Amino acid sequence: MTGITYLLGLLLIPLILSLLIFASRWLGGMTRFVVFLLHLVSVTLVLVISLLIVRSVLNAGEIFGLENWLHVDALGAVFLLIIGVLGFLVGLYSIGYTQHDLQTGDFDNRKLCNYYGLFSLFLFTMLLVVTDNNIIMMWAAVEATTLGSVFLIAIYGTRPSLEAAWKYVIICTVGVAFGLYGTVLVYSNAFNVMPVSSNASLWTEIVKNASALDPVIIKMAFVFVLVGFGTKAGLFPMHAWLPDAYSEAPSPVSAMLSGMLSNCALLVIFRFSIITNLVLGPSFVQILFLVFGMISVAAAAFFMFTQRDIKRLLAYSSIENTGLILVAFGLGGPAGIFAGLLQTINQSLVKVLMWFASGNILIKYRSRNLDQVKGLLQVIPFTGIMMIVGALAIVGTPPFNIFVSKFLIIAAGLQAGYLWLMVVCLLLLMVVFATFFRFIASMLFGEKPDNVARGETNWLTLLPGAILIVLIVGLGLFIPSDLMSLLKGASGLVLTGNPGQQIAITSLKDFLMPLEHLLP
Amino acid sequence: MSSVTLVNSLAGLLILTSLLVIEVKQPRWSAILYGLQSLVLVGIFVALAYATGAQELYLWAASAFVMKVLLVPWILYTALSRVSDTDKPRNTISLTLSFVLAAIAIGISFLVVNQIQLPAAGPFKPALAVSMAHFFFGELCILTQRNLFKQVLGFCLMENGSHLTLALLAFHAPELVEIGIATDALFGVIIMVVLGNQIYKSLHTLDTSDLRTLKG
Repeated sequence: MTGITYLLGLLLIPLILSLLIFASRWLGGMTRFVVFLLHLVSVTLVLVISLLIVRSVLNAGEIFGLENWLHVDALGAVFLLIIGVLGFLVGLYSIGYTQHDLQTGDFDNRKLCNYYGLFSLFLFTMLLVVTDNNIIMMWAAVEATTLGSVFLIAIYGTRPSLEAAWKYVIICTVGVAFGLYGTVLVYSNAFNVMPVSSNASLWTEIVKNASALDPVIIKMAFVFVLVGFGTKAGLFPMHAWLPDAYSEAPSPVSAMLSGMLSNCALLVIFRFSIITNLVLGPSFVQILFLVFGMISVAAAAFFMFTQRDIKRLLAYSSIENTGLILVAFGLGGPAGIFAGLLQTINQSLVKVLMWFASGNILIKYRSRNLDQVKGLLQVIPFTGIMMIVGALAIVGTPPFNIFVSKFLIIAAGLQAGYLWLMVVCLLLLMVVFATFFRFIASMLFGEKPDNVARGETNWLTLLPGAILIVLIVGLGLFIPSDLMSLLKGASGLVLTGNPGQQIAITSLKDFLMPLEHLLP
Repeated sequence: MSSVTLVNSLAGLLILTSLLVIEVKQPRWSAILYGLQSLVLVGIFVALAYATGAQELYLWAASAFVMKVLLVPWILYTALSRVSDTDKPRNTISLTLSFVLAAIAIGISFLVVNQIQLPAAGPFKPALAVSMAHFFFGELCILTQRNLFKQVLGFCLMENGSHLTLALLAFHAPELVEIGIATDALFGVIIMVVLGNQIYKSLHTLDTSDLRTLKG
C-alpha cells in the first residue's frame, strides 16, 4: 500500500460511510444496528489509516497524493494523530451517549441517522483540512468544517442550541472569509513570482519559493489569515461564538469542537506562519502570536473565574489553552515550538476527557449548574475520577501530561528572555488553577440531590475516558520515541520550512540548558 | 469604453446594488436585488475575460450565472416567501449612518489596495478595492440587520466580494478550486436557510434581537 492509497482511504471512507448512514433511516427496524455498525467502522478505519499514515511519515518524511494536492508532513501528522485517536474515542463515547438519548426519547431514528451521518461528515472535513496541500482548498475545507458541524450543535433543536448554531455559522463564515482573502493574496503573489506558476496554490511549493514573495503582501495576508482562522480557533476577541456553541452542543460534539476542530484552525495558521517567517523573519509572527495568545489566556482566565456553568467553564478553558499554544509558538525557537506542539496534543486529550465527564454529569443531573451538581463521587464515582484527573491535569499538576508541556513552555520562555511575560502567564495560570480547584471542590463535596439516582449510565460512556486517563498519565511520565521524533520533525519544519529537518533535542532535559545548540 | 474601464465601472455598480440589498425594506426584494448584483458580477467576469484574455473566466461567468443569478436568489426568495414577515424587524442604524459607514469602508479599501504591488491587479485596482469593500458591506449588513435572512444576504455579499477578488487575482487557479469555493458558498446559503427556517418554526421569530438567551 502506498501513501496515496492511505490518503484516499482516509478521506473517502468517512465520506462514503456518512452518506450510507444518512441513508440508513429507510431501513426500518434495522436502522439502529446498521447506523452504530457503520459508525464504528468509520471511526475505526479512520484511526487505523491515520496511524498508518503517521508511520509512513515517520519513515519517509512526507507523503503526497492526487498530484500533490494532498500532503502530510510531520506537522500534519501530529494533527492527524490527534484527529484519528480522538475521533475514535469520541466515536465510542457517542454510542454510549446517544443510547441514553434514545432511551429518554431525545433522539429518534431520524435524529440518530442525522447525528452519525454528520459525525462522519464532520470527521471527513477535518481530515481534509489536515491533509490538504492546496492553500485555497485548505480554506474551503475549513469552511466545510463549519457547515459540517453546525447541525451537530443544533441537533436537539432547543432554543439555546438553535441560537448557538446560528451565532456559530454566521461568525465563523464571516471570520473565515477574511482567511480566504489572506489565502488569495498569498496565492496571487506566488503565482507571479514562481517559476512554475501552476504550482502557486500548493503550500509545499510556495514554501520552497518563499524568498521571492513580496514582504508587504505577505504581512497583510498573514494578518487576514490570523484574524480569519483565529476566529475559528476561538482566539480572543473573535471568540464570541465559542462558549455558546461548546456549551449548547451535545457533549461529544463539544469534545470534537474543542479537542479536534480548533486544532485544525491552528494548523492552517501555523502553515501560513511558516511561509511568513521565511519571507519576513520570525519576529513579525512571534509578536502577533504573543499578543493574541496572551490576551486570549488573560480574558479566558477571568471569564472562567465567574462561571457557574460547567460546560461554559470548559469552553473558556479551551480558549485559554489555545492562547497558551499560541504563546508557546510566539516564544519561538526550537523549545517554544516543541513545547507548543506537545501542549496541543496534551490539552486536546485532557479537554476531551473533561467533555466526556461533563456529558455524563449532564445525563445524570440534568443540569450543568455547579450549584446543583453535588456529591459527584457518591452518584457517579468513575465520572468523578475522570473529572478530577481532568481538572488536575488541565491546571498542570504532575504526574499528568500537561505538567510537562506547561513546564516546557515556561522554560522556553525563560530561555528566550521573556521573564516578565512568563511571570504574568504564571499569575494567570494561578487564576485558572484556583478556578478549577473551586470547580472540583464544589462538585465533590455536598450532599447529592435526592432526585438523582446512583450509578453510571453505561460502560461506553466510561471506557473512552479510561483510555484517555491512561494516555494522559502515560504521556506525563514519558514520551514514546516515535512521538518524540514526530514532534522534533514538526518543530524543525515550523522553524525552517524544511520537511527533512529535525530539531536536535535528545531528551526533555535539554530544555534546561542554554538552547543555542538545539538550533537545527 | 475600454474593457478595463468597463470592469471598474461595473465594480462601481456592485457597490450600488450592495447598498440596495442592505437597505431595501422588504427582505424578499433584497433576494431579487442580490440576483441583480450577481448579474453585474457575471458581467464583470465576462468583461474581465475579454480584457485579460483569460478563457477560464467565461466558465466562471457561466457557473456564477446559474448559481448566483438563478439558484441562490431563488432559494432565498422562496425561503422568505414561506415565512410570514409580520414583525418586520428593521435595521438597527439609520440609513444615513450606514451610507457613511459604507463610504468609510470604501475609503479604507482603496487605501489598503494601494499598498499592494501585484502585477495581476494592475489596472483593476479600483475593482479590487470594491471587492474588498464588500467584506465590510457584508459585515455591515450582518451587524446592523436584525432579520436572520438579511444576515444570510450579508454573507452572500461578502461571498460576492471574495468571488470578485478570486477572479481578479486568482483566475489561473485550477478549476477544481473554483468549484470547491462555489460549492461551499452554495451549501453555506442552503444550510443557513435551513437553520433559519428551523429557528422560525421553533421560535416563531426571525428577529435576532429576540435571540438573546445566550450570553456570548
